[in-house]
Amino acid sequence: MELIVRHGEREERVQVRRSGDGFEVTVGDRTYPVDALAAGRLIQSLRIDGAHHEVAVRAQGDGTYWVSTAYGAGPVEVTDPLTHLAAQAAGGRGGRKNQRMNAYMPGRVVAVLAEEGQTVTAGQGIVVLEAMKMENEIRAEHDGVLRHIFVQPGQSVDGGDPLFELE
Amino acid sequence: MASDSVPRRRIRKILIANRGEIAVRVLRACRELGIRSAVIYSEPDRLGLPVLLADEAYPIGPAPSRESYLRAEAIVDLAVRIGADAIHPGYGFLSERSEFSRLCRDAGVIFIGPSPEAIAAMGSKVESRRLMIDAGVPVVPGGKDPLPDLEAATAAAGQIGFPIMLKAAAGGGGKGMRMVPGPAELPGAYRAARSEAAASFGDDSVYIEKLIENPRHVEIQVMGDLHGRVVSLGERECSLQRRHQKVVEEAPSPVVTPELRRRMGEAAVKAAQAVGYSNAGTCEFLLTPNGEFYFLEMNTRLQVEHPVTELVTGIDLVIAQIRVAEGEPLGPEFDDVQPRGHAIEVRLYAEDPYQRFAPSPGRIEVLRWPQGPGVRNDAGVYEGSEVSIHYDPMLAKLIVWASDRERALDRLGRALAELRVEGIRTTVPLYKALLADPDFRAGNMDIGMLDRKLAAGELRPVQEEGDGLADLPLIAAALAHFERASHNISGPAPAGAGSRRSRWSLAGRREALRGGAWS
Repeated sequence: MELIVRHGEREERVQVRRSGDGFEVTVGDRTYPVDALAAGRLIQSLRIDGAHHEVAVRAQGDGTYWVSTAYGAGPVEVTDPLTHLAAQAAGGRGGRKNQRMNAYMPGRVVAVLAEEGQTVTAGQGIVVLEAMKMENEIRAEHDGVLRHIFVQPGQSVDGGDPLFELE
Repeated sequence: MASDSVPRRRIRKILIANRGEIAVRVLRACRELGIRSAVIYSEPDRLGLPVLLADEAYPIGPAPSRESYLRAEAIVDLAVRIGADAIHPGYGFLSERSEFSRLCRDAGVIFIGPSPEAIAAMGSKVESRRLMIDAGVPVVPGGKDPLPDLEAATAAAGQIGFPIMLKAAAGGGGKGMRMVPGPAELPGAYRAARSEAAASFGDDSVYIEKLIENPRHVEIQVMGDLHGRVVSLGERECSLQRRHQKVVEEAPSPVVTPELRRRMGEAAVKAAQAVGYSNAGTCEFLLTPNGEFYFLEMNTRLQVEHPVTELVTGIDLVIAQIRVAEGEPLGPEFDDVQPRGHAIEVRLYAEDPYQRFAPSPGRIEVLRWPQGPGVRNDAGVYEGSEVSIHYDPMLAKLIVWASDRERALDRLGRALAELRVEGIRTTVPLYKALLADPDFRAGNMDIGMLDRKLAAGELRPVQEEGDGLADLPLIAAALAHFERASHNISGPAPAGAGSRRSRWSLAGRREALRGGAWS
């Protein structure tokens, strides 16, 4: 099976084949014999050329997997080559003009420090969010005009809820 | 000093007025002493580890602390009703409220901590500064009075000169505290400090202090009995802080000499005696690079980081607290206590260190604690438990001990490699990165170091070495995807055909069914 796998800045063509009791995985031009076994819930024991790696893999839907290793954790996107091509043709990934800032944690909006239509500068505080007893100022990541503010003081938000949109 | 006048009273049941890891810590001491334990819990904490381990458990209200863990009168009433001889307040919540200690006393329940008078005297930073100056304990220059408005703050800042610190008069734990580099930042910082102080402590008074640049945070653990004796149990180095919140603590400090330890210990004992202190307490000091130290505040309770002192002194501080509260004098093990070996604690926060420390609530899907020589875990959670957004994100502490600092660092690295937490994000990757940091390894730190390194983009996750490891996340995700896809096409694997593969498939399918519950 041929896949396109994206991890951070990297995007690689990856091939997975069954091989005996295990697998053979080719990433770019490197091929690894992999012996993979589940060690309880979420945890996978991967032996690659004798070296052992304990990883946790959680499917998040849409071909995204949260992978955590001894060195860190993060999302890895997996698509098949055809879907990948179609997405590129549709310009799915590039060309974001509006930048939407989402709540990166669940919490309560304590204050909104700017107004829709206002021109703001990078680093300027827009929304103050309180969670786990700490107040955090959510700032504009770049200069721009505030297109929308989606929240009001006093409102509770979930992680991922939109806070404001910057053009 | 007349020890004969101190009544002795055996404690047979303790009500623990707290939650999380510290409630568990106190439960452990109770069980070892054969004391019956009772805990309170808020609605979301019904299945918390304290409830599971306690002899008795009582609901105290809904999630918000104000309606549960902060209900002083209801808690004291409960203690009376269930026949508890004593209340242990843990840290945070009601632990440093003098009214709570007083309510206990009035109800005839032993408060395992200092007297209401001592808490009140130390609880107001403004008042305690005055007392310390009178007692000859060195303090940081600054205004002593609460600042009623922005004009007063501006005037006071102008007098002592920027940079300054704004601090909550009733505060602690970094909340309601703001560093202000210059006049432009004062209005915002003043507003934030007051509102945080009000939210966290129900008191929005703040005061101002000169900022001492590049100091260490070194604190002295003291223990006092009801017979007037107060001793120092040595220092803890707590300079690694993020936004004034401690993240790593150790004992002893890499820079405190026996001579400095003696002088700081004497100052701490003097501070405690100035307010008639009994039970466990901590005097926090700023230590400058040239060895001057200034009293910051006294925490009139057990500290989060008390285990490092326990590991280097061999003294169980919670058991000592209970014995002292019963009226026992401090025994010979408290004579001239010196540290043995080296202990380091890291606090496990449910926060993503690489997403601006965003809180990461959720269910803990996998939890494997490190074990083996010299490792201690003080946790308030278990595999399967739910981390709620309502409370402090600190879940647990991992503490190691070894014969010297270098070995303790290596042991911490080993323990962190064994530790496995899945389902929520934690600060563990940051501690792995810290262990690779030359300044931390060398013991060169000050209270601003961690924030500076984070702001400079240092302490990134420890990077994979070599192509094989760099490809690991890709291999793992591709395999998971492969298994799910082939499962969808071909249906369940035939029975007996490679049990290894089908186990992998099953795990993948279970995950697929859960799909979307994560993000």
